[in-house]
Amino acid sequence: MMAMADHPPELSLVALRRMMEGVVPPVMCTASPEGVPHVNYLSLAEYVDPLHIALSFQFFNRSRKNVLATRRAAVSFDDPYTGAGVVMQLEYVRVETGGPVFERLRARLAGVASHAGMENVFELKGADIYKVLDIRRVPGRKELPGILPRVDLAANARVLSERMASCEDLPDLIDTILRGLSELLRIEHAMLWLLDPARAGMTLLASRGYDHGGTGAEISLGEGLAGTAAREGVPVRVGHMMNMATYGRAARVRAKELGLSGLLKRELPLPGLAEPRSQLALPLRARGTIIGVLFVESLHEQFFGYDDEDVLMPLCGQLALALAIMQSPEPDALPAAAAVPSPPALAGPALRVRRYVQDNSIFFDDVYLIRGMAGAILWKLLGDFTASGRVDFTNRELRLAPELNLSGFQDNLEVRLVMLQRRLSEYSCPIRIQKTGRGRFQMTLARSVELEEVPHPLRAAGA
Amino acid sequence: MAILTPDMIEFLGEGVAHQVGGCTRDGTPVLCRGLAGTVEGDQVVVVLSKISGHEVLEAVRDTGWVAVNFTLPANYQSLHVKGRDAAVAVGGAHYRALVEARHRAYRDQLAPFGFPPALTTAWYDVPDPELMTIRFVPVGAWDQTPGPGAGNALELK
Repeated sequence: MMAMADHPPELSLVALRRMMEGVVPPVMCTASPEGVPHVNYLSLAEYVDPLHIALSFQFFNRSRKNVLATRRAAVSFDDPYTGAGVVMQLEYVRVETGGPVFERLRARLAGVASHAGMENVFELKGADIYKVLDIRRVPGRKELPGILPRVDLAANARVLSERMASCEDLPDLIDTILRGLSELLRIEHAMLWLLDPARAGMTLLASRGYDHGGTGAEISLGEGLAGTAAREGVPVRVGHMMNMATYGRAARVRAKELGLSGLLKRELPLPGLAEPRSQLALPLRARGTIIGVLFVESLHEQFFGYDDEDVLMPLCGQLALALAIMQSPEPDALPAAAAVPSPPALAGPALRVRRYVQDNSIFFDDVYLIRGMAGAILWKLLGDFTASGRVDFTNRELRLAPELNLSGFQDNLEVRLVMLQRRLSEYSCPIRIQKTGRGRFQMTLARSVELEEVPHPLRAAGA
Repeated sequence: MAILTPDMIEFLGEGVAHQVGGCTRDGTPVLCRGLAGTVEGDQVVVVLSKISGHEVLEAVRDTGWVAVNFTLPANYQSLHVKGRDAAVAVGGAHYRALVEARHRAYRDQLAPFGFPPALTTAWYDVPDPELMTIRFVPVGAWDQTPGPGAGNALELK
């Protein structure tokens, strides 16, 4: 048996990951201590690292008894495009019942179960981790040529990375990556989620390829693929149309276990494809901390693979770092406000703006707009406007404003301003924010405003 | 003597995938794709390639143990059969028609899932001199269809 390190590159686990996508299910052979063989299909296999794979553990069956008794298994994989095959000799290491590998398998299994109509049968009990002892190519097959990738992912990702590196501010950066995903990588539907640590959830910063933008929509940590990717810090992918009701039900149970069930209410509708065939959620990590998730989806089955993860993860790292640290430069020396027309005279009935102190949620005429730090920023701007008529602001003064308390990098002002700007724009509000120069922006109002503050319920009750 | 029931024999012709497993004397499990399965008298006969199946053939020659999984792709219906005194023999041209019939049925099963005919040809394009057989009297059969009945022993005739 050849040591894994001595295998040629084409027989490395990295090179064989495509066979683990599950298009053709893997087959396992185990044997009892007496040498009686047993053969059965597996639902899924997952690449773990260059020496290990994980296999889905769903049933307490003969295979499992054999593996626990002998620690050995053989698994065969077939390439669904070329017909090539390999057989791996495996040594059982351990079972994992939570964590990144388990969650990746769980998400994929939910998709496979939906696809197979086996939602009530396929339940992941664990991710069995195996050390790969040997890989042999199945000899004697009349293999077909491989298929061409949809684009040159690596080369086009490099172009996108260079475009991102040239961006001068966050709005440009966000537009650039969402547009680049479509133009360069043919990923037409994407969402950018930001973690909101204060409420253990995520808020939609931007999207592309949907009927409505959805900026400001919220999900809880662990909800859906995006929430799972954020919670576990790993890419999570599904290659079939998944019964989100089934997957979501599991997520809701988990949220309840974590005491997060109160977060599951939905203020704004989520954007998304009605019938996605493939989805991939990738964590955005900066300074060792998850700050959000890039979520992409497609109308085609098995659209995303390991290769997509390989090119998108570095782009997500670049994006995350920018989101975490990118700040507007010091304001222009000269006021740039003159470049923008003065706001028109405000006519019509006043817009009633209500703020709930509890979570900084903002309502316009009883319609929910946004909450969290973006809500707090808007409230400050409107407060300054009603007090003094000011409409011109600098990023710097907001950054230093004590009432906003923008101390942590996850409360990056620029990111929250972008979110607020996009939300106001998508909502077709009578209030808008637009950049007027380096580190400067202006709020425009088409209606006068009346501000109303709703105190924290516990504090108001004197509790 | 136990033989497969008529339902099981009919199932073998419906377009199943064949997965054949063995175990070497030192306890290493081995497996390969089979090409066809049928019944001759009281014996199950599985046809496979001596090139792609050489490890399994060697293990079966050594130990006599064999396990075969027949699965219908359309609905995951799965039959598992084991033999203890299996014998390996040259199959050759005698089994060409059976292999082609099984290949056609299997290919038709996979077509609705988008698998092109060329894919299964990559597995089934085995010349006559490479066709081998493993034949055995089954010692047991089990339902392996995912679900509540998975693992249940099936009654043989």
